[in-house]
Amino acid sequence: MTTTMSPLDASPDASAQAALETGPYSWVATVDHKRIGILYLLTSLFFFAVGGVEALFLRLQLSRPDSHFLSPAVYNQIFTMHGTTMIFLVVMPTLVGFANYLVPLMIGARDMAFPRLNALSYWLFPFGGLLLHFSVITGGAPAAGWFGYAPLTEMPFSSTPGTDYWIVALLVLGVGSVASAINMIATVLTLRAPGLIIPRLPLFVWMTFVTSFLIVLAIPVLNAALVMLLIDRRLEAHFFTHVGGGNPVLWQHFFWTFGHPEVYIMALPAFGMISEIIPVFSRKPIFGYEFVAGSTVAIAVLSFGVWAHHMFAVGLGRTADLAFAASSMLIAVPTGVKIFNWIATMWGGAIRFTTAMLFAVAFLIEFVIGGLSGVTLAAAPIDWQVTDTYYIVAHFHYVLFGGTAFAVMAGIYYWFPKMSGRLLSEKLGRLHFWLVVVGFNLTFFVQHFLGLIGMPRRVFTYPDRPGWGALNMSSTVGAFIMGLGMLVLVVNLVVSRRRGAPAGDNPWGAWTLEWATTSPPPPHNFSELPPVQGRRPLWDLAHAGPANARSAAGAIAGAAEGAFEKSAVAVWAFVASEGGFFLILILAYLYFNAPRAGADGGAAPTLDARSAGLFTACLLASSFAAWRAEKALARAERSGAVAWLAATVLLGVLFLAGQAREYVGLWQHGVTVSSDLFATTFFTLTGFHGLHVAAGLVALTVALGLVRSGDCTRERPGALRAIGVYWHFVDAVWLVVFSLVYVRPLL
Amino acid sequence: VNTARLLASTWSVDPLAIVACATAVVLAVWAGQRRTGSGLACLLAAAATIVLAVASPLGVIADGYLFSAHMLQHLLLLLVAPPLALLGLPAMASVPPTAPARLRVRPIPTWGTWALGVAAMWLWHAPTLCNAASQSAFVHRTQEVSLLLLGTLFWIPIVGPRLGRRLRPLTGVVYLFTACAACTVLGIIVTFSPVEVCSVYLRPTDRLGIVPLLRDGWGLTPERDQELGGLLMWVPSCFVYLLGILGLLSRWYRTAQDDAGVAHREPA
Repeated sequence: MTTTMSPLDASPDASAQAALETGPYSWVATVDHKRIGILYLLTSLFFFAVGGVEALFLRLQLSRPDSHFLSPAVYNQIFTMHGTTMIFLVVMPTLVGFANYLVPLMIGARDMAFPRLNALSYWLFPFGGLLLHFSVITGGAPAAGWFGYAPLTEMPFSSTPGTDYWIVALLVLGVGSVASAINMIATVLTLRAPGLIIPRLPLFVWMTFVTSFLIVLAIPVLNAALVMLLIDRRLEAHFFTHVGGGNPVLWQHFFWTFGHPEVYIMALPAFGMISEIIPVFSRKPIFGYEFVAGSTVAIAVLSFGVWAHHMFAVGLGRTADLAFAASSMLIAVPTGVKIFNWIATMWGGAIRFTTAMLFAVAFLIEFVIGGLSGVTLAAAPIDWQVTDTYYIVAHFHYVLFGGTAFAVMAGIYYWFPKMSGRLLSEKLGRLHFWLVVVGFNLTFFVQHFLGLIGMPRRVFTYPDRPGWGALNMSSTVGAFIMGLGMLVLVVNLVVSRRRGAPAGDNPWGAWTLEWATTSPPPPHNFSELPPVQGRRPLWDLAHAGPANARSAAGAIAGAAEGAFEKSAVAVWAFVASEGGFFLILILAYLYFNAPRAGADGGAAPTLDARSAGLFTACLLASSFAAWRAEKALARAERSGAVAWLAATVLLGVLFLAGQAREYVGLWQHGVTVSSDLFATTFFTLTGFHGLHVAAGLVALTVALGLVRSGDCTRERPGALRAIGVYWHFVDAVWLVVFSLVYVRPLL
Repeated sequence: VNTARLLASTWSVDPLAIVACATAVVLAVWAGQRRTGSGLACLLAAAATIVLAVASPLGVIADGYLFSAHMLQHLLLLLVAPPLALLGLPAMASVPPTAPARLRVRPIPTWGTWALGVAAMWLWHAPTLCNAASQSAFVHRTQEVSLLLLGTLFWIPIVGPRLGRRLRPLTGVVYLFTACAACTVLGIIVTFSPVEVCSVYLRPTDRLGIVPLLRDGWGLTPERDQELGGLLMWVPSCFVYLLGILGLLSRWYRTAQDDAGVAHREPA
């Protein structure tokens, strides 16, 4: 197996290398998954402070009725930034950070499958956050809510560039998330230690793995919707405005098709942490491993079929409401199964209430409250009653803070010793715990009542109705108590990192592989890997004696002989993600170009199907050429492969030239992206396809160079094969586009 | 006509139902010693599903009256009866590695059975074919038989009797999940589509005099009927695929297979 070398390993000069390994630059240039994981966590902590201070400003404004502490415009901006920051810059990257640090350790690997891609994924995150906050000095932060409902986000209603920065920042963050998810899938499939078959994976790894599929499939839906919104705003199109025939409700469909899986993207890894922590501190294996693992998959599949419960108030019709109410209630079943598994794990166990365990138990209680209010919201009539009230605010904060954030805090106390080599102070930990539990419930429990008595959310102030002021004041006080608790956490992290008690390799008596190495682990993770014959290798080891430990070199060499090849896994996951992106563009095209009753024929009279057929033939021929190139490489005919690749590139360029000619012709006839919805959807769909062709040509040219220089050979055909899969995918998408756009109107 | 009368009086003797029942009996007898209780139950359930789909009031209403009833029939024939029938067959030994090559390869590649199963859903809902199936008895029969056949081909890699030929768990999950996604996309299009997928169901030929009951009594206007049809295609069919996924996972955890399909035994 070829282990990936970091650039540091390649440096010949020992003293320069030492400086590179410890100085600040070493953190910028690192490709070590552990350092990247810590960078993720620290950056998230920074943004958590930002989002938390924003929340405190909101609570100050809402502490008294008819308050003018913040103006409505500023309130809307802070409110939007709080939501966007907490979702995209805190919860998601925190979970990715933990996964980055822990997954390779838990599966006994040296690093992620693609360490450099991993570094890229990380750096996209702070830069995405920077873009989002840059909007503040361009005339105001985005102010239309983290959900960005059209038409409020359209130009006439949000004319500052804030919304554009919001769109671009989310696109950048989305690309980073998809890249890290693909990396995670490839890592779990290809780098597991021998014996660590998938049915034995630690549940945190399994849930991160399943979540990665959710990210790969859900984020492109958001990306597609975002680019449509950007085209609306900057190119004067009308996807989401009634003026010009668009449909604002379509934005909600797209957004929540992403948004509901997103809820589980933020919840499943947290479930995974709880599934690691509760068994260790109960001194029992998890009860019903199979049910916890299987119900995760059920949640993942169902999560794509429940989005419209965010839209009951839109008026989708009784049939759709009933179906979505039923599916939303159904998704509570696999989630409930997990709760019972965790309770049954604790049942009869020798429970140790460390701070980590306290947070895990609090998670169970708070998350059940959030889950139950969620089930009430699945009933459409109840949702109509409380929609857009503080009941909803209470519900999702119980899920995201009471659920995910509590689990993350349990995770911090549990894994900090592994990351730093020192234990966090239990005394400060307990103070932190109680401040947060009291503050959290004081803040959000009362909001259930505020919602039920009708206080609307997303509004900068409220009238002085009986009880509203007092409940809101208690909410504000609670928020500040929570803020204090978070300060205690920061103090604890800083103090314990310097002066905490040394942790040793395995302070909790845990049994997954990350505890088999030193704390903190060496750059290469493991010098020796215990044998894996079950789900609890360290437990098995402790009860079988250390005699059968084997060397890491042999173990890791064995891992490469799995059934999966990492570049193939990565490219197929990437293709699935791109498929999701195009699916949304195609659905939008179909939606706006379906023959409507009473409409005057099809809207595509200006297209020349014959010339389009010609350049389609070029593209298909290029796929054939790419396939021949692969075959030639398999026969070790380097010059043949180069020739076929050159033919592929040439045919692809011909396709792009044909498309450019068509575009110019349309523009000369005055057909532009803002002409009408046909033109908008046509240019969006074919334009993005053209961009993918162009990207594919760049990749093919790189492959051509690799084959010529002898870096891509019969023995190492991974690069050419991966690019080939991508190229065939781009062509397959064009076949669908061609038949829908050019052929269908002829039928 | 009221609902009770309709449900009581429209059962028919359908050749396909008779063939299905006879086949179930033949298979049960053929299985002989290798027959298990659950296998027999699955065979009976498969036959009952087919009877319900074609010989019951559902079959009558599906024939030109209600798009949603047609969709239910479609799901029973494509997604419920075939896997039940396959599960009812006794497990067959794996093909030995010494057997001729033609026996060892899959007759249809995996992507092919996937495509056939998904095509059975998509093609029969192209407006032309969908209308033709309601207007011609021959096309209608072809539709029913093709659904059963294509459904069987689709499900063989998941629950086929040759255990060695079944897909590996992770591949199987992807196989079923992508099929669910394909169904979902079509279901979304049908549910939210502003146009009629099957114009026949707009103005049914009322040979039984039940249109007033369906439209007013059951409240199924043409729009609501199509919406319900789309949702049936989308939600319950994905539940079937999800059940398949959960079945695969539970088998995986029981046998603890590695990536190459070799079973490991868990230490006690």
